[in-house]
Amino acid sequence: MSKHITIDPLTRIEGHLSVSTEAEKVSSHSDAPLRVTKAMCEGEMFRGFEKIMEGRDPLDAQQITQRICGVCPISHATASIRAQEMAYGITPNKNGRIIQNLVLAANYLQSHIIHFYHLSALDFVDITSVLQYKGKDKILRDLKAWVERSLASKEIFPAAPFLPRYEVPYIQDEQINWELVSHYVQALDMRRICHEMGAVFGAKLPHSTSLVPGGCTQVPTIERVLSYVSRLKKVSSFVDDVYIPDLIRVAQEFPQYWAIGKGYTNMLSYGVFPLDDKGNKLIGEGVLCDGTWQQLDQEMINEQVKYSWFSSPTGKHPFQGEVNPAPRKSGAYSWIKAPRYRGMPMEVGPLSRVMVNYNAPGDPWIKKEVDSVLEPLGIPVEKMVSVIGRHLARGLEGKWIVQQAFKWLEEIEIDAPPARDFDIPGTAAGYGLTEAPRGALGHWLTLDNHKVKKYQCVVPTTWNCSPRDDNGQPGPIEKALEGVIVDDPAQPIEVARIVRSYDPCLACAVH
Amino acid sequence: MTRFTRRYFLKAASFFTANACLSSHYTEAIAAGLEKIFERKQQILWLQGLSCSGCSVSFLNAENPGPLEILTNFISLVFHSTVSATQGHDVHNVIEKLTGKGNYTLVVEGAIPVGIPEACVIGKHPIADVLPPIIKKADSIIAVGTCGSYGGIPAAEGNLTGAVGVKEFMEKKRIPIEKRLINCPGCPVHPQSIVGTIAYAVGRGYPPVNETLLTPDMFYAISTHDECPRFHSWEREIFAEHFGDPEGCLFKLGCLGPHSFTDCPRRQWNGGVNWCIRASAPCIACTSPLFAKSKSFPFYRKGEKYHDVTYNDSDRGGDKS
Repeated sequence: MSKHITIDPLTRIEGHLSVSTEAEKVSSHSDAPLRVTKAMCEGEMFRGFEKIMEGRDPLDAQQITQRICGVCPISHATASIRAQEMAYGITPNKNGRIIQNLVLAANYLQSHIIHFYHLSALDFVDITSVLQYKGKDKILRDLKAWVERSLASKEIFPAAPFLPRYEVPYIQDEQINWELVSHYVQALDMRRICHEMGAVFGAKLPHSTSLVPGGCTQVPTIERVLSYVSRLKKVSSFVDDVYIPDLIRVAQEFPQYWAIGKGYTNMLSYGVFPLDDKGNKLIGEGVLCDGTWQQLDQEMINEQVKYSWFSSPTGKHPFQGEVNPAPRKSGAYSWIKAPRYRGMPMEVGPLSRVMVNYNAPGDPWIKKEVDSVLEPLGIPVEKMVSVIGRHLARGLEGKWIVQQAFKWLEEIEIDAPPARDFDIPGTAAGYGLTEAPRGALGHWLTLDNHKVKKYQCVVPTTWNCSPRDDNGQPGPIEKALEGVIVDDPAQPIEVARIVRSYDPCLACAVH
Repeated sequence: MTRFTRRYFLKAASFFTANACLSSHYTEAIAAGLEKIFERKQQILWLQGLSCSGCSVSFLNAENPGPLEILTNFISLVFHSTVSATQGHDVHNVIEKLTGKGNYTLVVEGAIPVGIPEACVIGKHPIADVLPPIIKKADSIIAVGTCGSYGGIPAAEGNLTGAVGVKEFMEKKRIPIEKRLINCPGCPVHPQSIVGTIAYAVGRGYPPVNETLLTPDMFYAISTHDECPRFHSWEREIFAEHFGDPEGCLFKLGCLGPHSFTDCPRRQWNGGVNWCIRASAPCIACTSPLFAKSKSFPFYRKGEKYHDVTYNDSDRGGDKS
């Protein structure tokens, strides 16, 4: 008989998500674990940004759409600026391009660090291990004292927000736990420093005010460049010496997760961080289907709504997309639409970027980097499509971005104008394809009488957390959950680990 | 383990107030707040409605004390969706147990949809149904961000969900507001504003606020325009004309400083590395109840020349043209 396993709400992600599954016992034994046979991701929040954008001044777009997400606002600013630039017929000047990249890079790094340490690590690390700590590290001694005091007190929720948690097998080795707990704390500083780096040119974070079509309002003075460089050096050491080694340690402690959470293996990347005006990007665009690299064709994207709470027509390209909420629609189970590429569900995110570029023509930097990490571990590249692979891809991408950011800082033209001027045409259309930390992000914009006629966003978690499409194909995370074995249905940590490996952002997914 | 003395608290509290040049009255009050939270007399429940989590991320940018010091020394953060290890069914147990016992401060991030209640659901229940008993039992309620305070972008013109801020929600539900609700607007809220407000509310009780907006005077009484470092340019009518012009008043690019009441000019952002005006970016009045609300009130003036704007120029405040 089929049983239900749910995580409602699934916390330590951005936003409101509930995951429900159907599962069957793997054997007739009474204590037998359960195998998931069907999974459903339910996006539980809708704000209607696309309708709010209609009729507004198009320059409002990079400000309004940043507020779709407080974790990756710069990506929405970027997509919106790219769409406007196409509509206005301009590109940023050199400084503008570099500064936009630098602000985006800073936010990527803060997002990847917060995702691993503060959102995901508590699924692997045993925070209560600090109770056994006898060493001299001040961070760990203070934490130990706090947990002891808290547990001994009569508080109803001792050691909140770290307890209560699922009481399941975490990392057993105390030394590794202590180090990771200590790094959780260090990472709080690192992600804050990343935000400072972004604000050096972005004015403030979250939600930058300085990014505009054509570039940025902040002139790159020598003082600003140094301020960024100094912080980037700290972040660079953290990525190389702490973040990536920690990912490898978690991989070694949980080797079974190289084989869990595979999903479809179809990957999509729009590419990000333009290197010139000719379309070359640091992280390239492309599609990976059945292991074969293909060129991207944005016209092949549509959004389907059979199982979503919308009465809008289904299967429309974003330029024709509509938003008509129907919260009581029969058969629907999510506010998220189901975007498809040539009718296929696609995984997006750091893993997709890494795998698309790994398989791209030429000799991509990331290929050598991935191979150099996997080889000593004895892991074939196919295993990257897994829970561990997703985390690892995020860390390696961090290194990739850090290295390039140093080069951009050298290329910047000190004290030269940071933006190119433009006029706003009466009637025009444009789209902006970029990559958010969580994956492929597109904004599609049409203008009429100098105002926004239509605005549509297809966002990374819209792809990953999508419900079933019109043909009944499950979304990528739903697919990745099928077949996973859950030891304790009351504490389905295996499900949580798979879902979090995608770094879902629900505010983005529905917007 | 550090001994927590009165001096320690004064030192920590002085951080919130030093940059804002506040009187020692506020410093004392915030110190008392931190001390009281440390004694665990107060618990914090942080819930999200129609939000982007930007205010939570901004809270993590707090410094001296930073987020971990706040969590371990100053507050008991009973539940926060983005931070808590707790997930699934346990979340409902925690919230139920806390609201059963009382003695907590509720933080609400994000707007609340009352037109389409299904537009924000927690554990299969619309947040519009979940919130009223939790609000009623809270000692105080802090609405963070412009969404929580005034509805923000989810409540902007043309929205479909009927989103409202916490104050309007409480009025609709006929829940008493007086001396309980504090608004901390900002898109996002400044980290020191939220930490300082929590500390004051717990230590001294209800802070001095603007009577209409319910914003604490200690953080929201200063006019961005009056304290603008480019005020002299405005007086001399020297204006920036293009994005990226490093000098001049930003009014002609759309600056809404006259609509904005925050201490950004004094405290700046992200550890003081920058803020909007310093980056030559027009202020978009993100703490204002009018923030983003009207389709015909654009953030930037560049687009205005192409179409009719339905407000008077005086709506911008201080127009010199």
